[in-house]
Amino acid sequence: MIDRTIFPAPTRGLDLKQTLGLPQSMVVRSGDLLFLSGVLAVHPGTGERMHGTLTSETHQCLQNLSMILGRAGSSLEKVVRVHAMMYSRIEYDVFNSVYRQYFTPAQAPARTVWSVGILYGLKVQLDVIATV
Amino acid sequence: MAERTVLEPKNTLLNVSRSKNLPHNPGIRVGDLVFLSGMVAVDPTNGKVRTGSVEEETRMVLSNMKHMLESAGTGMEHAVKLTVNLSDAAGYADMNRVYREFFGGASPPACSVNVVELSFGLKIEIECLAVMPEGEAK
Repeated sequence: MIDRTIFPAPTRGLDLKQTLGLPQSMVVRSGDLLFLSGVLAVHPGTGERMHGTLTSETHQCLQNLSMILGRAGSSLEKVVRVHAMMYSRIEYDVFNSVYRQYFTPAQAPARTVWSVGILYGLKVQLDVIATV
Repeated sequence: MAERTVLEPKNTLLNVSRSKNLPHNPGIRVGDLVFLSGMVAVDPTNGKVRTGSVEEETRMVLSNMKHMLESAGTGMEHAVKLTVNLSDAAGYADMNRVYREFFGGASPPACSVNVVELSFGLKIEIECLAVMPEGEAK
C-alpha cells in the first residue's frame, strides 16, 4: 500500500485550511508524487486575494507555487504536469510570456491550458502535480 | 526519488511545443507514470494544426497519442485516464464513435469529458495519463 502524507503550507496565507477554513490540504504526497490544491494569486503572508492583471496574477501564482513546492522538498524544476487555468483564452500569449520566465522550455512540465471561470474573480489558477 | 524524464514523439513534427516555441513539453515520465500534455489535431505529415470535423480531429488526436505513447515505450492499452475537452457538447456522440475504435476493448481507460473553449477553432483536445508496461519499471 502506498503512503499518503499531508504537507503543511509554507506560510499562513497559503494555508487554505487555516485562513479560509476550507476542507482541503495544500499538498498531499503519495509515493514520489506531490498533488497540490489549486494555486491562486493570494498574498502568501495574509492570504489576501491579489486581484490584478493576468501578468501580475501569474507571477504571484508561480511565486506561491515555488514556495509551496520548496516547503514540500520539491521545486519548479520537478513539476510534472500543470493544468493552467485562465479566465480567457485571449490572454494565452500573455500567460506564456510570464510562464516561460519560471520554466526552462527544454525541461518544462507537461501542460494543458484551460479557459474556465475561476473562483473569487481571479484570473489564473494552477493545478499542479510534481515529484520530489 | 523518482526520475523525471522529458518525453518526445519519434516523429519530431508532432513536437508542437518545440516547433511553436511554447513553454511546455509533449510529456513527462515519472517513475512508471506517463503524463502527456493536452493534444489537439496536428497533421503528422507537416506538424500543422488541422481543424476538421469532430470525427477527423478525434481520429488525428488519438492516432498521434498512440504514436506519442509508443514513442515513450508504452501504448494505448496502458492508458489510465483520459480527459477530453470538447468545444461543443454536441460533438460528444461523434467523438465517442471514433474513441471506441481506439478504446473499444474490454478494459478502456477512465475518462472525463468537459466542454471548454479551445484555440484556433479546434473542436477537441485530449490529455492522457498512462503507465509503463509491466517489466519496464525504472
